Amino acid sequence: MTAEIVTSEAFQPTSLTTYFNNTSRTDAHALDAGAFNIWRNTFPATELPEPGGTVVVGGVPFAFPGWRADGADNVRCCGQLLDIDPPGHYDWIYLLVAAERRTEDPVLLHFAAGVVDQEWLRVSDFWPDASAHFGELRAYQCSVLHYPRHTQERMPPTIWRQRVPVARAAELRALRLPDNPAIHVFAMTLLSADRRIQR
Amino acid sequence: MKAVLDGVQRWRHELSNCLHSCIGVALTRHGIDALVVLGSRWQFYYRPGDLRREEYFWPCPPGVSLAQTLMPYHPISSRWHQPADAAQGWQQVRERILAGEPALVAVDNFWLPFRPAYQDVHSNHLVAVYGFDDEADLVWINDGVPPAFDGPMAGKHLDASRDSDNPIVHDRDLFFTANPIGNKWLSIDRDPDAPAPPDLATMLRTNVRDFLDPEPVDGYVGLGGIEAFLRDSADRLAIGEAIAEETFVVAGTAVASAALHASALRALASQHNNPLLAEVALAVDRVAHHWTAIRILVNTIEQSEVDRLRYRTDQLMADCGRALAEVSRVADALAQEGQQTCRPRFTASS
Repeated sequence: MTAEIVTSEAFQPTSLTTYFNNTSRTDAHALDAGAFNIWRNTFPATELPEPGGTVVVGGVPFAFPGWRADGADNVRCCGQLLDIDPPGHYDWIYLLVAAERRTEDPVLLHFAAGVVDQEWLRVSDFWPDASAHFGELRAYQCSVLHYPRHTQERMPPTIWRQRVPVARAAELRALRLPDNPAIHVFAMTLLSADRRIQR
Repeated sequence: MKAVLDGVQRWRHELSNCLHSCIGVALTRHGIDALVVLGSRWQFYYRPGDLRREEYFWPCPPGVSLAQTLMPYHPISSRWHQPADAAQGWQQVRERILAGEPALVAVDNFWLPFRPAYQDVHSNHLVAVYGFDDEADLVWINDGVPPAFDGPMAGKHLDASRDSDNPIVHDRDLFFTANPIGNKWLSIDRDPDAPAPPDLATMLRTNVRDFLDPEPVDGYVGLGGIEAFLRDSADRLAIGEAIAEETFVVAGTAVASAALHASALRALASQHNNPLLAEVALAVDRVAHHWTAIRILVNTIEQSEVDRLRYRTDQLMADCGRALAEVSRVADALAQEGQQTCRPRFTASS
């Protein structure tokens, strides 16, 4: 019998801290300290894990929430090129993401020798009522939404777990995000291609 | 006196707005499939200078009603009512409910306790009013937009919201403030004189024709209109003009039109077990998702980054052209299959 066992060592949580350019979480005493969307709504920090640790969503570990001294905690996509550290052979790129209304765009996977593949990054809306239009896993749903001057009940925002395939059996070196500022990336974890165990 | 209509159900599509939610309430009460009716038409139209600071803004060509613009294939009529004052407005709304139909009433969210903007910022919104109790001073409201509300509310809140000047307070509500509400309201009715809807192939071909070869009209229309609108917006941004508000609001109508059409096609694909319809829905949704990006892009870029908008426009135009080609191909395939299998039912009895 052949079975596939995914061990925790097969997952490579990746720091996005240097790419952070947006603040998505606020505390109740400083509601206007962030602006996840253009209306300056934010996720309630107290309903998300403490920054600096590792969380497991659907069996995948993520370095989430991220945090930086200036308060930034996520990447609003504007065409950034993310270094893959360490470069390697991977099967899937797992992401914690949310969008200001659902949207989709290609991402570019950079391999050795200038080879680039295109795959889709599809992200559902963070707003209440939004369905997992693209089949994502609902990673976090808070009970309230922060507005700049008040906390709104019955407005539960969502962070989704999405994934992007790496079809090419080659060393992945970098990932180009789309220039789509409606998409926010909170965390990224790579699943190694080298994880099959015979037993 | 007390009158509360029965059969009122929340209706919402996640990429549409309060206008569609309210029309959906009015249609579903009569067993009409709101997604089929609202999603059969896919179009683009905007006349510069016609921008109104309303969450329910929908651009209509001169002399063409909202229903004719939004739901041209189905026997539905619409009429905006502009009462002289608050008293006349309430009298009209009351009479509408007594006649057995909800009134779709413009409101300022600042005065509605169930809205996030309550006592914070002013914003021009639309809700369905479907009941009243004179003695208890209650009105029954259905608002499909999150956090959503359905039930009775003190009449004083509706009075204040209908008659609000909708002034600017703070800076958070970006687009729908500083436009007096004016007690206006909208009626949606089934039009007994209108012809029955055409088959789906005809609807799709008409949509494609109106994108690629539209009737001349004052304003941006069709596929060429999309390109002209976005390139003009980019040119204006490049010389330092403010485009965020106009582009956001117009893009909101474009995303809703494409996304509703995609959802309707997907629903019909499931009902008719037609994989081609599902595949073309994916292509149309792609266009909606470009518009989603544009709405946020124009609110986050600097003048010096105008090429980002131009690049997005290139991508949208290419994908919209592809989607229209696929719609045309599917329309041909449907026509060859015969009319009976591709005439969407829009009511339980149609």
